[in-house]
Amino acid sequence: MNKREKIVVKICVGTACFVQGGADLLLYNDFLDPSVLACCVIEGSSCLDMCKRNTNEKDQNNKPPFISINGKIYGGVNQDRFCKLLAEAVNA
Amino acid sequence: MLELNNQYTLIKRRVQTEVLKRFFDGTLDKDADKIPFIIIPKDRIPNRCCIYKERAMIRYRIMALLGIDIERFDDELKPLTEYVKEALAEDKPPVPILTTISTACSACPPDQYLISDACRGCFARPCLANCPRDAINFVHGQAHIMEERCVRCGKCMEVCPFHAVVHIPVPCEEACPVGAIKKNEDGYVEIDHKMCISCGRCAMSCPFGAIVERSGLFPVVKMLVGATPVTAMIAPSIEGQFPGTLGQIKEALLQVGFAKVVEVSKGAEVTARNEASELQKRKEGGEGWMTTSCCPAYLEIGNKHLQYLKEKRSESKTPMGYTAEICKKEDPGNLTVFIGPCLAKKVEAARDVNVDGVITFSELASLFIAKGVDVREMQTADLGDTHSFEDCRGFAISNGVANSVLYRYKGPQVKVLPVNGVDKKMFRLMKAWEKHAPEADIVEVMCCEGGCIAGPGTVVKPAVAMKLRGGDKASTPVKSMSK
Repeated sequence: MNKREKIVVKICVGTACFVQGGADLLLYNDFLDPSVLACCVIEGSSCLDMCKRNTNEKDQNNKPPFISINGKIYGGVNQDRFCKLLAEAVNA
Repeated sequence: MLELNNQYTLIKRRVQTEVLKRFFDGTLDKDADKIPFIIIPKDRIPNRCCIYKERAMIRYRIMALLGIDIERFDDELKPLTEYVKEALAEDKPPVPILTTISTACSACPPDQYLISDACRGCFARPCLANCPRDAINFVHGQAHIMEERCVRCGKCMEVCPFHAVVHIPVPCEEACPVGAIKKNEDGYVEIDHKMCISCGRCAMSCPFGAIVERSGLFPVVKMLVGATPVTAMIAPSIEGQFPGTLGQIKEALLQVGFAKVVEVSKGAEVTARNEASELQKRKEGGEGWMTTSCCPAYLEIGNKHLQYLKEKRSESKTPMGYTAEICKKEDPGNLTVFIGPCLAKKVEAARDVNVDGVITFSELASLFIAKGVDVREMQTADLGDTHSFEDCRGFAISNGVANSVLYRYKGPQVKVLPVNGVDKKMFRLMKAWEKHAPEADIVEVMCCEGGCIAGPGTVVKPAVAMKLRGGDKASTPVKSMSK
């Protein structure tokens, strides 16, 4: 991947995600590694419609809060997983 | 105090949402007993000992949501559907607000200081030198605390260069400012309701979720599906709790079935005005210091513990009291529901004939999810003329009440003392004020640290809420955070 191209991260700020842990991710300035942060463009996004699907509970990717990294959607994202996913995406 | 977002709060939100969804589609009185099995499926990896205990806990959470006083009315043989039918037929008396689930309680051992294996048995031995009770001896080259002598002062922990001393508290006991948490002979938690001020700190602290609030949600959702129009009175702290502006939150509330939305800041303006003139009267008359009167847990401290505060606190009603008065005057036919971050407000509401129901932001969040209402996608409803009380939205934050009072105050210079959170230590200090007056003319008391935005019924962390308050910042949450 071209290193200069920034990774587009969208945090779902639909109400369902926001009130089920998504609001925590908004503090990314405080908990994300600055070197990772520098490689990302972080935006808010309207409901990604993931929460409305009737899905298999076991897979954490089906649980709110959802984020998308370069278009790929991840679920069950807490601050810890947020850091890991972004670090992976940056170092890929 | 626990971090706001953890397994427990998430499961609570899930329980509320599942129950509400079934309530609105009319299947709750048939399907209630299925909910624990849906939330805890058999292939889940449990956080407690097993999924069966987890299911039992979900059952209790549903009972708390139905407003059952679990402490007194737990009938294990009674199906949830029976409890649902009861809750639908008749509203439970709202007090006491807090109840305990003894089977969830882990019966934490008494508060203790322990010296861990990190102890290097150093030469200086500051723990030994600084212990006021000679409670430390050395066994096999490591420090050891003699339980029977230890007074739990924590000196050894402060001085150990290796951080080898750990403090293991009983979270609920430690959190309770007034000593209302007791352990029964088996070590399980019990609340002394005669002492409890309903501040909710214990419920926020217990990592096992063994202390729960009895929800007032059912009486309110019954109002929403009923024929009588309902006015929502939104506490000033609501701004920042949802991904949308006050106007959008208002629209969302209209969508879930409220007929009218009134900001409690409107009543706060009356409180601020009255407190300002009272302050002036007291200052000029040399009557000594006074305190604010808007925090209901603080009012309970005066009612149940420090009687002398009844003379000291302002005589004006709380913002909720005045707002409800205004609402009942404007629309005598409407029911009124207070929506706030606070558990103690339910105690206050139970005494106020003008308030018909109380729910928390957290319950409102579940209501939004259950109804599929996305605050972010809402149009902006007109809030009307808010000019006169805009500054009173600051009532939600420590210092905010005092600021609004002083803004309306015209007397001689006064000194302000904000009490930002009432913990054990603060409570002792307040006790001492009876004999030694604080060096202030007006004392602003908020029982939650940071103010109402840190209340037990909030949705987001205070740090997030602070960033999203004011203007239309909450409509672009991510952008607003980076500012």
